Amino acid sequence: MTYMHIGKDFTPPDVEGKVTGAARYAEDFKKDGMVFARMLTSPIPAGRVVNIDASAALAMPGVVGIFTADDLPPSAPPANPALAKEYVTYIGQPILAVAAESDLIAEEALAKIVVEYQRRPFVVDPLDTLTEGGPDPYPMGNTLIRNSGEAAAGTTASGTDVGRIKWSIDQVTAFRNGREPTGAEFGSEWEYGDVAARFAECTTVIEEPFVTIGQPHHSLESRTSMAYWENGKCYFHGSLQSHTVGHDVLAGMLEIDPANLVFINENTGGGFGSKIFPYPNMAITGRFARQLNRPVQLRITRAEEFFIGSARSGMQGWIKIGLKDTGRVGAVDVIIVNDAGSGGGGSGGSSAEHISIMFQPEAMRFRGVSMYTNTTPRGAQRGPGQNEMAAVLAPMMDKAANMAGIDRVAFRRINAPRADGKIGERQGGLSSSYMPESIDKAAQMFNWEEKIAKPRQISATKVRGIGVGQGFHTAGSNGYDGLIRIAPDGTIYLHTGVGNLGTYSYAGITRAAAEALQCNWDNCVIVHGNEALNLPHSTYQGGSNTMFTETRSSHVAALDIIEKMKEIAMAEFGGTIDDYSIGGERVFLTSDSSKGMSYGEAAQKAIEMGGKYSGMEYPDNIHRTTQRSVQAMQGTGLIGVAKDTLPREGAVPGMAIAFVEIELDTETGKFDITDYSAVAECGTVVHPQGLSQAMNGGGVWGFGMAAYERHVYDPQNGLPANVGLYQSKPPTYLDVPVTMNTAGMDLPDPQSPVGAKGIGEPAQGCAVAALMSAFTDALDGHLFNRTPVTADMIVNHIAQNGHNTGNLKTNTF
Amino acid sequence: MSSHDVMPEMSLYQPVRVEDAIGIANQFADRGWLVGGGQDTYGWLKDRAKSADALIDLKGIESMRGITETADGIEIGALVTLTEIANNPLIKERYALLSQAAVKVASPQIRNVGTIAGNVSQDVRCWYYRRGLNCYRAGGNLCYADTPEGMNREHAIFNASRCVAVTPSDTGPALVALEAQMVIDSASGQRVVSAEDFFVGPNVDITHTTVLAPGDILTAVRIPAKWANAQFFFEKVADRNAWDFALVSLSAAMRVNNGVIEESRIVAGAVQATPRRLTSVEQAVRGKARDEATANSVGNLASRDANPLNYNHFKMPLMDNLVKRALRGQA
Amino acid sequence: MEIIRYRRDVWGEEVILGVSWDLLWVIAVTAFVLLAAHAIFMAALAKKKAMPSAQGKRVKRHEGIDRAFHWIMAGSVLVLIFTGIAPIIGLRISWLNIHWIAGLILSFVCIFHTIRALFWQDFKSMLLGPADFKEPFDETIKPGKYSFEQKGMHWAMTVLVIAVIATGITLFLHIDSPWWDRPSVDNEATLGVFFLLHGISTLGLIAFTAIHIYFAVRPEKRFYTRSMVQGWISEDELKANHDTDKWKPE
Ligand SMILES: Cc1cc2nc3c(=O)[nH]c(=O)nc-3n(C[C@H](O)[C@H](O)[C@H](O)COP(=O)(O)OP(=O)(O)OC[C@H]3O[C@@H](n4cnc5c(N)ncnc54)[C@H](O)[C@@H]3O)c2cc1C
Ligand code: SF4
Repeated sequence: MTYMHIGKDFTPPDVEGKVTGAARYAEDFKKDGMVFARMLTSPIPAGRVVNIDASAALAMPGVVGIFTADDLPPSAPPANPALAKEYVTYIGQPILAVAAESDLIAEEALAKIVVEYQRRPFVVDPLDTLTEGGPDPYPMGNTLIRNSGEAAAGTTASGTDVGRIKWSIDQVTAFRNGREPTGAEFGSEWEYGDVAARFAECTTVIEEPFVTIGQPHHSLESRTSMAYWENGKCYFHGSLQSHTVGHDVLAGMLEIDPANLVFINENTGGGFGSKIFPYPNMAITGRFARQLNRPVQLRITRAEEFFIGSARSGMQGWIKIGLKDTGRVGAVDVIIVNDAGSGGGGSGGSSAEHISIMFQPEAMRFRGVSMYTNTTPRGAQRGPGQNEMAAVLAPMMDKAANMAGIDRVAFRRINAPRADGKIGERQGGLSSSYMPESIDKAAQMFNWEEKIAKPRQISATKVRGIGVGQGFHTAGSNGYDGLIRIAPDGTIYLHTGVGNLGTYSYAGITRAAAEALQCNWDNCVIVHGNEALNLPHSTYQGGSNTMFTETRSSHVAALDIIEKMKEIAMAEFGGTIDDYSIGGERVFLTSDSSKGMSYGEAAQKAIEMGGKYSGMEYPDNIHRTTQRSVQAMQGTGLIGVAKDTLPREGAVPGMAIAFVEIELDTETGKFDITDYSAVAECGTVVHPQGLSQAMNGGGVWGFGMAAYERHVYDPQNGLPANVGLYQSKPPTYLDVPVTMNTAGMDLPDPQSPVGAKGIGEPAQGCAVAALMSAFTDALDGHLFNRTPVTADMIVNHIAQNGHNTGNLKTNTF
Repeated sequence: MSSHDVMPEMSLYQPVRVEDAIGIANQFADRGWLVGGGQDTYGWLKDRAKSADALIDLKGIESMRGITETADGIEIGALVTLTEIANNPLIKERYALLSQAAVKVASPQIRNVGTIAGNVSQDVRCWYYRRGLNCYRAGGNLCYADTPEGMNREHAIFNASRCVAVTPSDTGPALVALEAQMVIDSASGQRVVSAEDFFVGPNVDITHTTVLAPGDILTAVRIPAKWANAQFFFEKVADRNAWDFALVSLSAAMRVNNGVIEESRIVAGAVQATPRRLTSVEQAVRGKARDEATANSVGNLASRDANPLNYNHFKMPLMDNLVKRALRGQA
Repeated sequence: MEIIRYRRDVWGEEVILGVSWDLLWVIAVTAFVLLAAHAIFMAALAKKKAMPSAQGKRVKRHEGIDRAFHWIMAGSVLVLIFTGIAPIIGLRISWLNIHWIAGLILSFVCIFHTIRALFWQDFKSMLLGPADFKEPFDETIKPGKYSFEQKGMHWAMTVLVIAVIATGITLFLHIDSPWWDRPSVDNEATLGVFFLLHGISTLGLIAFTAIHIYFAVRPEKRFYTRSMVQGWISEDELKANHDTDKWKPE
C-alpha cells in the first residue's frame, strides 16, 4: 500500500531541543519560592526505623521542613513505600525528605538528622532465602502471595501479601547443580499439552541450568520532580515514560480530584519500564509542596536513581528441552526462580512466554517462584522476562539444534510462529506473524550461508563466533482515546497523551491521523507533554505497544473528524455523507470538487455549529481525562475525538531476529562485533529512522546485557557495588559496531489501521540472544549458562582454571 | 545515609605560583586538597566520602604546564592533560608507550581535563572504599573486599597487605617502564623520586598510594632519553573499551637490537596497589629474541606468585597472556 | 585531645575504632619526664653508697636458657613496639609481617617461659605476696631472688604482654596469614574494642618497657643487666642486695 506519511521519515519536534540542549526535563523547571527537597536513605539492608531526631536539621537556617512516612497514607508490604518506616528492606531505601532553601542546605541538613534503626537479618540471593532456614527479606516471609483480590491492610498493591516459600536443602542443592528440584513448591505453574508424552517422542533432549543477573535501569534522567499548588490545582513536573495514563494514578497518590492535577512532562530521559506509571516518590513531591505551601523540587541524585529507579529481575533456572527428529521443539519444561528485589515481581511467566512463542513447543510446562531479597526493588525493564530468557535460551537452543544436526537458522525457521502461531499458557492466537519471512530476510542480509561456512579460527589468538537470536514482546493494546483539533486557520493539532520517552513514538503515532486526514505534515502540530494543553487519555507506554495502540486511536480520531467535516460540508452542500471525499486538506463533493471547503473553513463552521463539532458534546465512552480536554477546547475549532473500539483479537507480537559475527580474542576475552544484522517484525514501518533508532538502541543495550551490564551485591552486608552509572557498565561507543544493519519486515498487521506493531523490547532481545549465541559458537559450543558473559569469564574458561562464577548465583560478578 | 552529590562548602584557593601553593598546602596540611583536573577529587568530595577544608586549585600555575625537551629527554608539566599527552608529537614519536597509555584512560571528556599529576596521584577505585566505608585505607580496622564473600573481582593478586586495592592509573605503569622521574616540590625544596619509588603499597602506607605528603606538590614528570624510540607495548584490558578502569594493563619498553631484547622494563597495572615490575620476566627474556618462542618460554612466570581472591583468578592468565603479547611483538 | 577514636561502621553506626594515638605522645612525654626526674632525684639526693664489687666469687642468677628467653622476649617486644608505632609516627616501612612474626615469637617464648617457670624454675621466687609490699619502706628488709620492684615489673610486664598477645592474636586472626584467609567481620564494634584493648595494652607496654630499660641501665642496677647477659652476680652484689636466707643460689 502506498502511504502519504506512513513509512516516510520526518523530524519529530523534540529533536532540535535534544540536539541543542534546549529540551527541558523535570529538573529544569524552577518556580519562584521553590525549595529543594532531598532524601535520607537507609544505610541498612533490613530493619525498621525506631526513631528520627531531626531537631538539629530543622534548627538550621534555611531548612523549611521534613517529610516522613508518617506524612503518607500507611502502606504494608509488599507495596513499595515512598518512605519506609516499619519495613526497611534495602540499602538506599528512602526514609525521609528534608526541604531547604538551597540544595546545599538540604544536603547539609541530612547529615544532621539522626535516625535510629533496629536491624533485621537480610539476604541478597533468592536461593539463599528459598532454602529452608535461610533468612527472609521481610519478617513475614520471602515471596509475594496473591490473596484472590483481597488487599492486605493499607497496601496499595491490592490482593497481595508477603508469604513464605521454602525448599529443602536437597532441593536447592539439586537446583544449584542444574537438576530439577523434585517436589519443590512454586508460586505459579502452568502447563499446556502433554509434556511427558511429547518428551517421550523427542530424539534430542537437553537439560541445562541458567542464571541471569539483573541490571539497574539507571535512567539518565533521574526521577526528580517538582510540584506547586495554585488555585487549588497541583502543577506537577515529572518524568514518566507514559503521560496521561498516569494522571489518575498520580491524582490518587496525592488524594486529589483528577480535575485538579496538571501533569507536565515534555521530555523523559529514559525509563525503560521503570517509569511506565507514577512511582512512589512522586507522592512526596506533591504532598510536601502542599504541606509547605511552597513549590518543592524533590531532586533525585544518581545514587538514589540506582536505589529507587528499579532494576531488571535476575533469574536462576533450570530447563529441559526436547527436539523431535523433524527439528520441531516437542516439549519444554522450565523452572525459574526470580529475584524480585525488595519489591516488585519476577517475570518468570514472561520468560516462559518467550519460549512458547519463539519456538512454538508442542507441550510446555512452566513453574516459577519469585523471591524477595534485600536488594533494590525490581520492575519491568525492556522485555522483562522475555529478553533475559532470549539471552540464555539462544545458546541452549543452538546446542540442541547442533546435537540434532540441524542448521541453527533452519531450526529457528522450522519452529518460528506463523500467522496461526500460539502463545503462552492458554495458547492464544496472534494478530499476525511474519517471523519465518523475517528470519529469511535477516539471514540474507547477514549472508548466513557464507558466514557459517567460514573457519572459526582466525589466527592463533582470535576466533570467530556466529550467533543468531530472537526477541519478542507483545506489542499492542487497545481502547484509548484519540483527539484532534482543527483550528479555523487550518492548523491541525494532533493531541496525544503518549509520553515522550525518547523513542519518537509519540510523534510517530500521530502520523496515522495525518495519513487519514491526507494533510500536509507542515500544517500539523503535535500537542503533547503538558496537560494544560489538553491531552487525551492515551496508552501506557510499556511493552512495545505504543505504535499499534496509538495509531489506532489517532486513526479513529481522524475518522471522527473526517466524518464531522463531511457532515459540516453536507450541511452546506447537501447530499449524503458518502458523497463526500477529502483531499488537499479540503472536504468536497466527490462528484464536484468545487463544492467543498478547506479544513480551516470547516473548523470555522464547526465553531458556529457547536454541539459535537466544536466539542460542546462528546461521546460518553471517552475517558474523563479526554473529556476534560475536550471541555477545555470547546468552541475553539473542529474537534475529532473517539475511543478506539476497533476489533482486536489475539496477542500482538513484536518480534525481531538478529545475527552477530564476532571476533573473540582468546587471550583477553575481549571481542569485536564485526557484523550485526537484524530485522524487526514490527508490522508496517511507520517511521524508518525511528525504527532504526529503536533497533540500534535496542541492539546496543542487548550487547550490554550480554557482555557488560551488572547488578552486584555484597552478600556480607547487603551493599550494592554498582550504584554509579560507570560501575553498572552500560556499553560505550567503543564497545559497539560503528554500523548496524537493521531493517523492518514491513508487512502489515491486519488489526492496525496502518499495519503497525511495536518493536521496543525485541530490538534488545534479539541482540542479546545473538551475541550470547556467538560466544558459544566461538568457544566450541561452550555454554556459560549465564548472562552477562564478561571478559574475565572467557579468560577463565580458556585457562580452564575452574573459577567462573557458577552455582546459579545472581547479583554477582 | 544520604546520597550526596552537591559540592560541600569549602574554601577555594587558586595560587599562580608553586611557592604559594606549597604555602597554602602547608597551612592546611591534611585538611587541604590539591586539585588538578578534579576528576578524582570531585567524586570524593561530592559523595562526602572524604572531606577537606580547602581546595587548592593548581590550574593557574603556568610553570606546571607544557611539555619541553630537555638535555636528557623530556619534561612534562604536572598540569599537562592526558589528551595533550596522547596527542603530543614528541611523546608519540619517542615515548609512544606513554601516549598509548594516556589515550586509553577513561573517556575523552575525562582526558580533556584530567592531568598527568592527578592520574598518577589518584586514589584507588575499590568500590567499598569509594563508597565511603571506613576500611583500612580510610584509616579503619578492616577490609571489606578481602573476605570469604568479598566482591573483589577488580582487586589485587599481588602484594596485598590488609588492603587489596589496585592502582587504577593507566599512565603509572608506563611511567615506571620508562624510568620516569617525579619532581616533587615542597617547603623543604625539590626532590626527585623515580616513578618506581613514587608509588607505595599498603604494606608501607595503607592510607596513601604515593610518597606525596601534605605540602608536597608534584610539579613535573621527567622522562629520560634512555628509552626514547625503544620498542614499546601497551595494552589495557577493561570490561569496556572506554570509560572503564583496567582489569589488567601491561606497559613494556624493550631495547631490541638485531631482534634480541637487550634490556626491558615490563610493568603491569591493576594487579597490585602499585605498578608491578615483572623483573623475573625481564630477566628471563634478556638476550632472547622478541618472538613467539620467547613469549611462550616465559609461560606463567608473571603470575607465579599471585595470591588471587574470590573473583579475580582471571587476572593471572590475563596477565600472562598480555606478557606473551608484549614479547611476541603482536597481538 | 581524644582518648578513644570512633568511626562509623558499614551500617553507619558509631563504633570504637581504637585508642587515640595522641596518647602515645602523652605516654612518651610522661615516661620521659618521670624517668628524667627520677634520674635527677637519684643523682642529687641519693646517698652516695659504695657499689658492691663485681669481683670475687660468682653466683649464678639466671640459667642460659632463661637469659635467652629474656632476650628473645625483649627483642620481640622492641620489634613489636617499633613496627607497631612506625606507621603511627609516619615511618614508611613494611611493618606488618615483621610485627606479627615478632608477636608469634613472643607468644611462643612466653609459653615456653611459663611452662619452664612453673615446672623447672623456682616459681615461688617470683610470687608477689603481701610481705613484699613492706620491702620498699623498710631498708632492713632485703628480698630473696627478686626484689619488690623486679617482681612488680615482671608481673606488670606479664599482664601487659598477655594482654598485647591476646588482643594481638585476635587481630592477627583478622588478617591474611599463611595459614588462613581473612574472615568477614560481623561486628565491627567488637573488633574496635579489640583494637582499643590492643592499643591500651601497647601503650602500657611501651611505658613499662621504657621504665624497664631505664632501670636496666641505671648504675646501681646494671649488675642485674649483666646477670641477664652473663648469668652471674658477685657474692658481694648478692649480699648487698639480697637476703641469702630467702635466696640460696647454687
Ligand atoms: C568514570 C571514571 C573513569 C576513569 N577511568 C580511568 C581509567 O581508565 N584510567 C585511569 O588511569 N584513570 C581513570 N580515571 C581516573 C582519572 O583519569 C583520573 O581521576 C584523572 O586522570 C585524575 O586527574 P585530575 O587532574 O583530574 O586529578 P585530580 O582529581 O585533580 O587529582 C587527583 C589526586 O591527585 C592529587 N593531585 C593532583 N595534582 C597534583 C599535584 N600536582 N601534586 C600532588 N598531588 C596532586 C589530588 O590532590 C588528588 O588527590 C577515571 C575516572 C573516572 C571518574
Ligand atoms: S581493598 Fe583496600 S580500599 Fe578496598 S575495602 Fe579493603 S582496605 Fe579498603
